Amino acid sequence: MSDCQDVLRQLWEYLDGELPADEAEEIRDHLEDCAHCNPQYEFQLRFLDALVKAYAAREVPGPEFVRRLRAALDAIGTDLT
Amino acid sequence: MTHPADGRRAAFQVEVLQHLDAVYRYAYALTRDRSDAEDLTQDTFLQALRHWEQFRPGTNARAWLFTICRNLFLRQRERRAREEPTEAAVLDGIANATQAFAAPPDAGRALFEAPELGDVIRRELDKLPAEYREVVELSDLQDQSYADIAQVLGVPLGTVKSRLFRGRRLLQEALVDYARDAGLLPARGSDA
Repeated sequence: MSDCQDVLRQLWEYLDGELPADEAEEIRDHLEDCAHCNPQYEFQLRFLDALVKAYAAREVPGPEFVRRLRAALDAIGTDLT
Repeated sequence: MTHPADGRRAAFQVEVLQHLDAVYRYAYALTRDRSDAEDLTQDTFLQALRHWEQFRPGTNARAWLFTICRNLFLRQRERRAREEPTEAAVLDGIANATQAFAAPPDAGRALFEAPELGDVIRRELDKLPAEYREVVELSDLQDQSYADIAQVLGVPLGTVKSRLFRGRRLLQEALVDYARDAGLLPARGSDA
């Protein structure tokens, strides 16, 4: 398998860890050697990494909201210490 | 002697409450409004506690919460009757127009080293059509598998993949456009 078109078609599934082990290994081998596909791989890797970092900096629920939520849950029968 | 309710409470704390930040962020991705996200998050946890006996131990608690959250969101949206009926058709048009990766690989260095990149990504993520935004959110930001996302959304696996890949391409197109506008990349056709 592993011609460039197939590899690029499955690149995101590969990066997402969604491919079976044998198919992932074929793609990994191809990416190591292919000057055409490797830059695309590097780009997509950095793109997904940038998404995760941007997400990590997003807001989290504030302490006042967490207090209200705990009170609401307590009211229907759970202790949230 | 331990009351059965004590065990129920303890299990709820262990399995569910650890996902508070994740559920809030997913709610924010759906509503794009802090106050609405708080309301939706609270409704999600109240619903989860009321139906706690339906959760199967050992399964993905986060995906279960996302499913509850999404169902509540859709129900609220229906009640508000703010559905945009043409959105699906518009989305198909956008999706069909994008075939390959949106970004030239040589765009990487300048783009990914831009200090404002995080702000740009968050802004562009908020602008994605809802169907794509929620799949990108669940996959790339909440680290859910394709199968779990399919379960949350109630759609086939192939739909998850096509929405995810199209959402990512749209995001990349927006980032490349930003990089060109900011002078990080040459303008289209500038070297002709």
